[in-house]
Amino acid sequence: MSAAELPLPSAPSADTRDAKHRAMQEAAKWFALLRSGEAVHTDRAAWEAWLAASEAHRAAWGCVEQVSRRFEPIQSSVDPRSTVEVLQTARHHALRRRTLLGLATCGGTGLLSWAVWRHTTLPAMAMAWAADHRTSVGEVREVSLSDGTRVWLGSASAFNEDYQPGLRRLRLVTGDIFIETAADARRGFVVDTPQGRLRALGTRFNVRLEDDGQTFVAVYEGAVEVRTATSGSTRVLRAREQTRFSGSGVEDPALAAPARESWTQGLLIAQDMPLAQVAAELARYRRGHLAVAPEVADLRVFGSFPLNDTDRALVMLSTVLPVQVRHTLPWWSSIEPKGKGAAPSP
Amino acid sequence: MEALYCDHHDWLQGWLRRRLGNAADAADLAHDAFLRLLVTPRRFDGPPEARLYLRTMANGLCVDLWRRRQVEAAWLEALAAQPESFAPSSEQQAIVLQTLQDIDAMLQGISPKAARAFVLAVGCEMTDKEVAAELGVSTRMVRKYVAQAMLLCMQMEAHHNVRG
Repeated sequence: MSAAELPLPSAPSADTRDAKHRAMQEAAKWFALLRSGEAVHTDRAAWEAWLAASEAHRAAWGCVEQVSRRFEPIQSSVDPRSTVEVLQTARHHALRRRTLLGLATCGGTGLLSWAVWRHTTLPAMAMAWAADHRTSVGEVREVSLSDGTRVWLGSASAFNEDYQPGLRRLRLVTGDIFIETAADARRGFVVDTPQGRLRALGTRFNVRLEDDGQTFVAVYEGAVEVRTATSGSTRVLRAREQTRFSGSGVEDPALAAPARESWTQGLLIAQDMPLAQVAAELARYRRGHLAVAPEVADLRVFGSFPLNDTDRALVMLSTVLPVQVRHTLPWWSSIEPKGKGAAPSP
Repeated sequence: MEALYCDHHDWLQGWLRRRLGNAADAADLAHDAFLRLLVTPRRFDGPPEARLYLRTMANGLCVDLWRRRQVEAAWLEALAAQPESFAPSSEQQAIVLQTLQDIDAMLQGISPKAARAFVLAVGCEMTDKEVAAELGVSTRMVRKYVAQAMLLCMQMEAHHNVRG
């Protein structure tokens, strides 16, 4: 940057203020479009071009991200829906002018203090809205790509498709995808995650971004080479193997679980799976919170359960295991030992 | 500033105490009001003007406090409806409450419908179609609400960034 381009310390002129405001307006509109659920591929390309066009645009978009980040604690609360209802209730209370007594002060920290406690980064969130293919909670979708490759998206998942003349590349943005590659002698097939690159060697495999910042991969046919992003170490997984890796290393492979393949059929197949893990899998497919009491968390589960009807899956669990499912609130269910907490409802 | 503080602090705190009926809150808000003056200093032509300004600002702070309390009460109500053994940790509770209060404060400047559309869309990650169905408006309107609310929040965010 030359001296002439350095920002002057004086107050911004009316012109730059106008330009800044215009950029903010445009950024707000892009945000509204990209997250609407109606954005298409060309919208995303147009947004990227807009973003690349000027520093002012990027600064305005940064502001959009800052505002969105504020919603993270709500988005990751046990049930965002009932959490935001609090605002509605508060408004009603305000209208009724109800007096409030006996509540502690809030410490007066104001708008500036801001605790972000979830590791989901906003860029990932923004990328998911803008991704080429995405699903909402509870949805499983099959997509056919131009070369005949088939990709299944699990609940709340998103990926981008980046096919180049020399390489077929998918980028997993969030969630879970299952891939059945089509043969192409000229172009290799890779899936990129933040933790590394998976190179498919004629194959059916599952890739999932885990909440703890690792990538999970399970191979059902052919083989997949894992190359970690930071350390660059490689490892080849054969059919019926699964593993997890971070940017710096790959865990030793284990036998691939049938559950990681069966979800594409809308089924969770449990073979000697702890109840807590079954619940975690089901929870991915439901809105709201699903809790498991510690006394029953380690019960072993065998059987297949529908992912597209998790309420039914919970009923099925309660018929095969000594557990009961309580729906305390529409968005709050808990799996408990049978006969526990049989207190009369309030 | 020091003179302003000496001249008016006790008066402001007294005024707030009468308004809020609570000495601790009054002390907090009076402190807040002067803190704001310290961040964005301004000159007054005389004590009456200074008091008018302080009173207006303190009034705004009372409304803010009152709204935060409304949100807190609604949040406690929602929590009370949950079984104790599965409640989120108190740290999570505090973070979510703070978030709700901040968002509520940011969205005071727009219509309730636009605010609700924005919160459902962003907080619950609902599509325009879902929000439209919920509110009984067109998806075009939802898109407009979301953009409008986002712009408002961006302006407030930028303002706070400048003030640091």
